Amino acid sequence: MAGLTLSHIYKRYDNSGKKKKVKNDFAVKDLNLVCEQGEFIALLGPSGCGKTTTLRMIAGLEEITDGEIYIGERLVNNLHPKDRNIGLAFEDYAMYPPLNVYGNVAFNLRAKGVAKDEIDKRVRAIAPLMQIDDLLDKMPVKLSGGQKQRVNIARAIIREPELLLMDEPLSHLDGKARQAMRTEIKRLINKIRCTTVYVTHDQLEAMSLADKIAIINFGVLQQFGTPAEVYDDPANEFVASFIGEPPMNILETTIINKNGTFFFTFQDSNLQIAVPKRYYSVVHDGFRCKMGVRPMDVLIGGEDSQGTPEEIATFENLGDERRIGIHVGDVLMMLITEDEKRYKRGDIIKLEVRGEKTHLFDTETGDRIREKK
Amino acid sequence: MARIQLENIKKAFGKVQALDGITLDVKDKEFFVLFGPAGAGKTTILNCIAGIMMPEEGVVKFDGEIMNLVDSAHRNVAMVFENYALYPQMTVYDNMASALRSKLYKTDEAEIKKKIQWAAKIMKMENLLERLPSQLSNGQKQRVAMGRALVRNPNVFLMDEPLAHLDAKLRNSMRTELKEMQANLGSTCIYVTHDFMEAMALGDHIAIIKEGKIVQIGTGDEIYYMPCNEFTAQLMGDPEINIIDAEISGSGNALAASFGINGSTVTYELPMDSGVYAKIRDRQLKRADIGIRPQHVKYSFEPAEGYFKATVYSYESIGNKSVIVSDLGDVRHSQLRMIAPNGLRVEPDSDIYIRLEIDH
Repeated sequence: MAGLTLSHIYKRYDNSGKKKKVKNDFAVKDLNLVCEQGEFIALLGPSGCGKTTTLRMIAGLEEITDGEIYIGERLVNNLHPKDRNIGLAFEDYAMYPPLNVYGNVAFNLRAKGVAKDEIDKRVRAIAPLMQIDDLLDKMPVKLSGGQKQRVNIARAIIREPELLLMDEPLSHLDGKARQAMRTEIKRLINKIRCTTVYVTHDQLEAMSLADKIAIINFGVLQQFGTPAEVYDDPANEFVASFIGEPPMNILETTIINKNGTFFFTFQDSNLQIAVPKRYYSVVHDGFRCKMGVRPMDVLIGGEDSQGTPEEIATFENLGDERRIGIHVGDVLMMLITEDEKRYKRGDIIKLEVRGEKTHLFDTETGDRIREKK
Repeated sequence: MARIQLENIKKAFGKVQALDGITLDVKDKEFFVLFGPAGAGKTTILNCIAGIMMPEEGVVKFDGEIMNLVDSAHRNVAMVFENYALYPQMTVYDNMASALRSKLYKTDEAEIKKKIQWAAKIMKMENLLERLPSQLSNGQKQRVAMGRALVRNPNVFLMDEPLAHLDAKLRNSMRTELKEMQANLGSTCIYVTHDFMEAMALGDHIAIIKEGKIVQIGTGDEIYYMPCNEFTAQLMGDPEINIIDAEISGSGNALAASFGINGSTVTYELPMDSGVYAKIRDRQLKRADIGIRPQHVKYSFEPAEGYFKATVYSYESIGNKSVIVSDLGDVRHSQLRMIAPNGLRVEPDSDIYIRLEIDH
């Protein structure tokens, strides 16, 4: 059973009242998503891409210009937010400051008129899950950011919603707390198995938490797939460069034919990389496109390597790994190695790339160019 | 360009001892990183060097000359902050020229132009000179702020978390760019950060600061591979190093470390050629907290020789690899992190078998 279905959703903000002429375009355009019961999906994209708008439409806080939203089997387009049976956890915690943690968590149930001992049972059940058992008597001002967010999430899930919506719940927290909280959320969602939609602009958060990721840009869905799919098999240049850190190296290239072997060549660079055989059916001499390869899939060749020698422009030793930058024209091509060798600027290395991890993109549209089957 | 020395600097804010005897020697043209958690006193050190704050005790020297009583305008230091503080009504060119046009530096326009073009080239912003700050992205703004510092040809650059404002991706690419520029700067630079990747990547030397004191000074490799204490070890590396309580048994050439895990005890012999071995033997320790980096923890989903059993707490992808966090039951450091490939099917609370590679 589908937990949540978005069918041809459009959203256009009415800008007619504004003095300044704003381009009256769609904030969300023909969005289709099906989220299975119990699935955790992430809406991922740069700021302003329409991901929060989408979430707000699901919550009922924003009107839908066109399209249909189903929670379970119910069409909820015209349903009031409070009747949609959803739990919300946003970036700001918005707790009631005069109430202690217990009061905050219990608030929604009290408002609904749930019996007192039932409330108590549920608060006590959820507190250890969110590790807030020893915070129940505290006031919100006494809590750290991470604790507040835990209370916030507890408050959202205590209502046993059909659907849990979270909007950047971790973006307020600093590095370490964020990492720890990410682990907690992952565990929690696994336990309660509630259908969840999670909005974030942090690709790492999406990759580590979600069962499936919907990548959105300019209100248009770019790709919807598991973390492995969007990472290894990106639909277009946008997805390829958005997922992964450091981002995929994407270089404009002209393919040349040297005695029957195709090579990628690059402007203002003598770097040449053999084109993987599987692309031979789609390329020809003089073919222009973009080549994408992740920094981990660029390798340092040994003594007998056929790769072109290149000069190192930057070398960063990060402890766990080492990053090397090489100028290819005016682009800095990055590679990551766990090799213990220390290089320095100006050293010459031979470059090789993993052919099976090399992608081609259309120069104009950014779409993947796939080999013919 | 100058050598910067600090000798036993102390500074207190009311009851709080912000700096407690800081002694540093930054060589000419060195890229020196001050690294530590928030509130460690990193920025206060910068402020003392810049002359914005007066230390209560200690000496600040530039090229051997005592600067304590020199007013900050005459120290010729250039500061770059987390927020860029650009003049919004001026173009990038004018922003960069502003210091040179001031009374103190009165430079003629032809000279200014030459300097700005030189700086713009290093900072890769030749095409931005005519723009207003509002037309720049955050990364570009930070480049302008650095360019403005550059044209003054200062004794020392002081950079206070210049990349902290930027989002993760931009921060990493700016870091790489900064690394590239560094080679062309040819000037002393003191750089404050709380990001270990920045510290490792940029610093010729790194000073780890904690609660107003220097914990360790060394190159990136020294600090990563030979941290002087738990604090340093935990700061470096992501995911962070695992620290496990161990009980040491045996003597002489045969030492073994035992870990209490899930109520049972797991014992490893310490290889004689490992660094840990020598340290434990020399000090005749009976108990030790042993640190082991996540990449040196091996796992298996089947019982195997030399592996002990634990429970999976979580499994999450961190991009090109994943981290498994396992639960060791009721011990002080109960979580053990390890690196695993992406795309495994690992259910929380399932069993996992672990081996520690102590020889690293």
